[in-house]
Amino acid sequence: MKTKLAKRILQGVLLVLAVILVPLCGSAMEMDDCLGCHADADMVGAELQIDSERFEHTVHAEFGCTTCHTEITDDHPDDGAVVSATECLDCHEETADQYGHSAHAENATCVDCHDPHNATGLEKMAAQGMNQACETCHETEEVVTMHAEWLPQATLHIAQLPCITCHTDADGYEVVLNITQKQYDGKLSSYSVSTLEDLQKYSDGDDISALIDLNKDDFISLAELRTFNKNPAYAELRIEGMLAPNTASHDFSTHDNRFDCSFCHVSGPESMQTSFLALPEPSGGFTRMAVEQGAVLDALYGTPDFYMTGSTRNASMNLIGFAIICGGFIMPIGHGTLRFMTRKNRKH
Amino acid sequence: MVKKKKIYLQPTPVRIWHWLNAFGIMTLIVSGTQIRFPEFIHVLGSYKAAVYLHNTAGFVVALSFSLWFFYYMFVSRTMADLYVPKAVDLKSGIIRQAKFYFLTYFLGWDNPHHPTPENKFNSMQKSVYLGIMFVLVPLVSLSGIFLTNVEPLRSLIVMIGGLKLLVGLHFILACCLTAFLPTHIYLATLGHTPMEHIKAMWTGWEETKVEVSEGANKNQKEMDDIYAEQRAA
Repeated sequence: MKTKLAKRILQGVLLVLAVILVPLCGSAMEMDDCLGCHADADMVGAELQIDSERFEHTVHAEFGCTTCHTEITDDHPDDGAVVSATECLDCHEETADQYGHSAHAENATCVDCHDPHNATGLEKMAAQGMNQACETCHETEEVVTMHAEWLPQATLHIAQLPCITCHTDADGYEVVLNITQKQYDGKLSSYSVSTLEDLQKYSDGDDISALIDLNKDDFISLAELRTFNKNPAYAELRIEGMLAPNTASHDFSTHDNRFDCSFCHVSGPESMQTSFLALPEPSGGFTRMAVEQGAVLDALYGTPDFYMTGSTRNASMNLIGFAIICGGFIMPIGHGTLRFMTRKNRKH
Repeated sequence: MVKKKKIYLQPTPVRIWHWLNAFGIMTLIVSGTQIRFPEFIHVLGSYKAAVYLHNTAGFVVALSFSLWFFYYMFVSRTMADLYVPKAVDLKSGIIRQAKFYFLTYFLGWDNPHHPTPENKFNSMQKSVYLGIMFVLVPLVSLSGIFLTNVEPLRSLIVMIGGLKLLVGLHFILACCLTAFLPTHIYLATLGHTPMEHIKAMWTGWEETKVEVSEGANKNQKEMDDIYAEQRAA
């Protein structure tokens, strides 16, 4: 009798464990199962291949494959069923509503701009990469020509700003700094954003952030930036900065206030306080490290290649300039006073 | 004895260059100030207007500089004579002129230098103009040209030290040029009458009162003789 009871209790415990653990094991296994085939282009073809390294770092990966691909069965792909994905707006309702009212909605769906298997927030992107989605439809040359009709230095603006800095609403703006490097060996080479592999060559196996973050406190001081920029060992590397929004809406309209240059160029040094260094990660994305407040306002070595007219002017430079101009008045005032006092001597 | 004499000191191309330059530089100073301090200065309206005006004025100044260079170098061929200080200027001319400006002028003495078309500038002017016209203006113009073409010239800008170095250089040089203006205008009033030199830059003709006594022009004659010898050599 006792043995029978014990057997039933054991069966009950096993059942409870099965109810709890099987679904958990199942969902964890499910993504691995999917990626077991879909990470390999030879098995599923390039069109259905998923970069597992990148996908695993997205927020979408946290939900598992079947959250979006609900129709997948255990017999996939042998069942021959066509696998569809859920609508983005099922989760991104607010964004979809905003986007639905924009002119873009008539021309592009979510997946035309975003790869759901490689979708990250702005904080995981190099500022230069923020325009990739736009460039799918908008050719740079055409964009420059269109903007040059009213925008001074159109080529510079288009090359050095993410489109969303002007074409979305944002809570605020920050300067995103990227390490770039020469594209070829030569004094006049252009620069492109360094990859993880590129920077690992300089770090000798150490964490690449240590190239700049010398004391490894996950914070970059102005002194560390200056040291990096003056280090002859890094002569091939430069720090490039871009003004990017800290969040982005999906209305993509042209806001009237962006036609007024003073939206960016009048606010003075206060708006240029916050900056981050974007460092490449193994996933292909970027991780951000906070930079000392106001580092981009440094006269020369903080960010030698980032300057925004009217906004990043340096206070010390202003004082030196003011002193020089005042010096120009010494002769008229000093000599003029003596000239006035001795005017009688010249009446002949 | 004092004798009045009219000399044609400023030929037409020089006067056109001078006033084009003056107007351009004043425009550059005002628009440049608005571009650097947009939240405080709005005299030219929008920021965009200030940028366009600054670029246009910069172009005008660069063009007038070319006119000046071409005229003195290839038409009148007097660039070296007028602008490059000679040994005598450096040895004694500068001290003599400084002594006049800072001492003997207040005692009522005459300017030891009497301008002629061949020897228009005194020793101090030569040295200062040499620095301004051959260093300051070309550098501020060149840095300005780079700043209006940042994207196509980015590699070159990086090679010379970066955008901030270029902007800093442009700003400090522009301040030096601005600082020269009050001194330049003030010194232009130190003729026999305050308007004498300024009128000459407008009409071309300068009316000078020449003291023909023995002592007053002795130094000048000596200097003129030395210049004549050096030119002949």
